Amino acid sequence: MNKILSLIKTDLNTSFGLSALQYKLTNKRDRFQIILFGIVILSVLPSYMMIVKGLSNLYEAYNSMGQESMFLLNGFLFSQMIVFIFGILYVMSKYYFSNDLNVLVPLPLKPREIIGGKFVSLMVNEYLTSLPIILPFIIIFGFTGEEGLLYWLYALILILFLPVIPLALASIVVMLFMKYTNIKGRKDLVRIIGYFVLIIGLLFFQLKFQSIAQNALMEGEDFFLKLARDSNLLVKRLGLSFPPSMWGALSLSSYTSITGLLNLILFVGLSIVVFLVNIFLSERVFFDGLIGNLEVSTFRGSSRIKASDYSKSYPAFIALGLKEIKMLLRTPVYLLNSVVGVVIVPILLILSTSMDGGQSIEGLNMLMKAYPHLISLIGAGLITFMGVMNCVGCTTFSREGRSLWIQRALPIRARDQILGRVLSSLFVQLIGILALLGAIAYLGFLSLENLVWITVLGILGSLAMAELGMIVDIFRPLLNWDNPQKAMKQNLNVLIAMGIGSLYIVGVGFLAYKLLGKIDILIIYGIIGFIFIFTSILLYIPLRKLIERQFQILEY
Amino acid sequence: MLKNISVCYIIYITYIKGGMDLLKLQNLSKTYSKGEVKAVDNVSLDIKPGEIFGFLGPNGAGKTTTIKMIVGLLKPDDGKVYINGIDAWENPLEAKKQLSFVPDTPEIYDKLKGIEYLNFIADMYEVPREIRRERMEKYLEIFNLKHAIGDIIGSYSHGMKQKLVLISALIHEPNLFILDEPMVGLDPKSSFQLKEIMRKRCHEGKTVFFSTHVLEVAEKLCDRIAIINKGKIIALGTMEELRSHAEERESLEKIFLELTENE
Repeated sequence: MNKILSLIKTDLNTSFGLSALQYKLTNKRDRFQIILFGIVILSVLPSYMMIVKGLSNLYEAYNSMGQESMFLLNGFLFSQMIVFIFGILYVMSKYYFSNDLNVLVPLPLKPREIIGGKFVSLMVNEYLTSLPIILPFIIIFGFTGEEGLLYWLYALILILFLPVIPLALASIVVMLFMKYTNIKGRKDLVRIIGYFVLIIGLLFFQLKFQSIAQNALMEGEDFFLKLARDSNLLVKRLGLSFPPSMWGALSLSSYTSITGLLNLILFVGLSIVVFLVNIFLSERVFFDGLIGNLEVSTFRGSSRIKASDYSKSYPAFIALGLKEIKMLLRTPVYLLNSVVGVVIVPILLILSTSMDGGQSIEGLNMLMKAYPHLISLIGAGLITFMGVMNCVGCTTFSREGRSLWIQRALPIRARDQILGRVLSSLFVQLIGILALLGAIAYLGFLSLENLVWITVLGILGSLAMAELGMIVDIFRPLLNWDNPQKAMKQNLNVLIAMGIGSLYIVGVGFLAYKLLGKIDILIIYGIIGFIFIFTSILLYIPLRKLIERQFQILEY
Repeated sequence: MLKNISVCYIIYITYIKGGMDLLKLQNLSKTYSKGEVKAVDNVSLDIKPGEIFGFLGPNGAGKTTTIKMIVGLLKPDDGKVYINGIDAWENPLEAKKQLSFVPDTPEIYDKLKGIEYLNFIADMYEVPREIRRERMEKYLEIFNLKHAIGDIIGSYSHGMKQKLVLISALIHEPNLFILDEPMVGLDPKSSFQLKEIMRKRCHEGKTVFFSTHVLEVAEKLCDRIAIINKGKIIALGTMEELRSHAEERESLEKIFLELTENE
């Protein structure tokens, strides 16, 4: 037991950089950075408050139907799903791609001890994801319904156990996945494709199940009668797609009765069972998936090297961009977060609109007739938002990690640094644009106008977002990492850039909305394009100065 | 023949006529922990073209800190670094074009192939196609790395990575070649080849500056040696000069121990 505690303590310390933080707090320059970081986080709050306000309205809507518990189910389902999806990525890199494995595996530790320690550390990390999602649901429900002390006690237990099931499921899925994809040769490729198929499959299953449940529910004339009679009816039907979320919602909505207690016991009980299954399984399969990863690949020899490979020459910014793209494509964690990320959004669009028997398509058709330019505007906005979501710009310096010395010791101009790195972000964005245009074409809404404006405005917007991300990243690059996941998904720079980026996009979107119908659409496109170009130029100057300054004072 | 004469002439101009130092450190200082620890304390050095300069000192003496300040990785608190007359912190790009740096641990891009890494570095130094090919092939042959150059760097051993960094540092034939503990991790043959390359560069009028723990290497290879301890230069000169100042005159090892223990 002491071993596990020590493992957890060390893992938490290294994962969250506690000792490093302590050092930073005593260092004047770094302390300033932390304060500034706090201010930036505060600036993200308005967007968050807007979402919370929207949730209050959602509560009112369910309340008017007498189905308030459905509000809680939404919270549980959404937070557990996010924990599961992020969990798969976190688990994969934490269990299989982290540098501490070289230290841990040779130690006399059982797989269950290693996995147990890593699991707890991941749990703490997942609270950072689950709390901002579930808390507004629980607080709105609790305060509006003036719930009693027991409600808050139940809520506390549920919040503590919330990430266990999805994370343990993610852990089981990943361990089995890694065991059976441990194929010599194209291991990384098999795993990336497998992961992609897995996520799409799970989403497909989830959406399909919900649409079946929804359709079944609406059938029959006595639906409204039943609805009026049972205030938990919607939860009981729709919650079947993921029963633990349903139990969570029911235990809180019926906390005064024995049903509430039983559901709480079910929720906590299943969490413990799934966790134990996970630990039991780790003993059997963890090393099977791992050993291949630590193997050094055998030399394939340089027979594939052609004479021309020795004399490939590019201008500095292109060489830098190509290097970035190669590293993105060859590091599974980077590829999953960037390219797969921008491809999944359009696929989700197709899945969510085409699985409800054509209802959404009909609705969209009507909307398009009323506002024919909406697709171009929303499409360009979506692509621009993906410009920060793809994590390429806002982690570009962090991803260099301890290799940053190469960039700093070489005679590379700041201009080339910017151009090369923007190039790699645009590469990912182009894939996103193609995927989005493909999705729009699949849904039957693609026109020449959409194609041109989504591409042009999307690229211009992405340019500004890539620069914005780079400013955030060069200001406080996360270089001391032992696991590439930390450089990308666990990098707070992504959150900061996303906060600022979304405020910016909401601002531009609001302007477009106000102008819509008042002036010609071409002028609106022109104004948006001008704003994007102007922002890019405006950001370029401080970015260049920051790179020059930071490259002198960073210590890696 | 003509080439040799011209090289000798350059050395003559710079050495005998007292030309510009290739590397000049002027009162260089760096402190850590809010000024409590002086890692480098008022260090000044003048290193001429054609010199092999050894930088010695016990662990934590300030060798790597000094080197990092020369190559642009650590900003000095005080003092100046001039490379071929260029202020390295005022005009970093021009200064960096003059030098190349081999660190003590080869942290490089694991996901690139060896050949891709070399081409990347050559692009950054703007080495023309024809020349880079010739140099790459020459150094890959010397360090026996040609067989692995098409593989991902992540599959290399520590020594192979070290060799790759060495090759990449030689591709643009820098005027100033700076190495931090270059012999660590190299096999005996590569170590020998590296010493040969250092000598050859010196004959061509170029400068080599390296830190080492291996005193025999410094003794046999260096024109001049500086010993740094607790951030200060405590001895500087040719082997002969160091011997004349020390009580124990047999070997560099004894001189080194005597000087560093007396501090």
